[in-house]
Amino acid sequence: MIGPSIHIKGTVSGDEDLLIQGRVEGSIELGQHTVSVGESGKVTADIRAKTVKIEGEVAGDVSGGEKVIIAKTGRVRGNIVAPRVTLEDGAHFKGSIDMDPGDTPAAKPAPKVAGNLAAGAEGGNPELELKHG
Amino acid sequence: MLRQTSQLLPALLSRREDAACLEVLDLGPARPETVAYFAGSRCRLHIADLFAELPLAWEQEAPDYAAELAALLPLAPASRLDVVLFWDLFNYLPVEAIQALQAVLRPHLNPGSRAHAFGVHKRSAPENTHHFGILAGDTLALSPRPAAIAGYAPLSQARLQACLSDFRFERSVLLGDGRLELLLLPA
Repeated sequence: MIGPSIHIKGTVSGDEDLLIQGRVEGSIELGQHTVSVGESGKVTADIRAKTVKIEGEVAGDVSGGEKVIIAKTGRVRGNIVAPRVTLEDGAHFKGSIDMDPGDTPAAKPAPKVAGNLAAGAEGGNPELELKHG
Repeated sequence: MLRQTSQLLPALLSRREDAACLEVLDLGPARPETVAYFAGSRCRLHIADLFAELPLAWEQEAPDYAAELAALLPLAPASRLDVVLFWDLFNYLPVEAIQALQAVLRPHLNPGSRAHAFGVHKRSAPENTHHFGILAGDTLALSPRPAAIAGYAPLSQARLQACLSDFRFERSVLLGDGRLELLLLPA
């Protein structure tokens, strides 16, 4: 664990899971392990790990071999690459997310549109389709 | 969270099934529903959240909208967008900014690109107070905005159509509250 009063500049690497509650600037490489950025954590670095869970602030690119989770308190600005990405309600994110779930089943066909009139928002909100040409 | 069915989403998202890697630009804030929806397929989701920049803070005398917007959009030169989600952004932008936004997006569109937006049928239509997400292939998720957005000044349907010169209105649906849901294709 990197405690709340610790400030690291440089490359963080290792062979175990890591919880960051302090500040890290540089890069974090824990390829087969989990990196957790706690609520008080502030990371200005690229992160590479098997699983990345962000409850604090991250500015940098994040690569998760398995998954990346941005918790409701998380704030991330950067690009994410991972097979699976989860964003919790309340999380802030700006950037790009590359997802490739691999062996997930094919997407379902889009539902057919029944006609020009359909139900709208909950509570009833009638719609009228307009033609353009 | 409210749900709203959409007649236009199926057509908007039809390329999700056959694109090798769907590339989506969401100009709204990151929403869990949207990320979860696209997580089911290989995709690149760009989240720009231009709503966080509203009202445009750089409205000086002669703002360079194109330069400012280009700086806010995280698009690589090689990005080719399959889907653009404007949501109701046009209701908060001056005409010059809408035109500049089109100019910024122009290199990233292709004939198969599709875009979604909300406009109004009449300028007196009430302001929407929700952020949007995609819950399913025919359903939007509406979540209350944490704070009001200043500068609601929707263009009339005719004015918006004239302003969006890079797009044509492929289909539109008049909603019960006077808003218009729009499916846009490159002109």
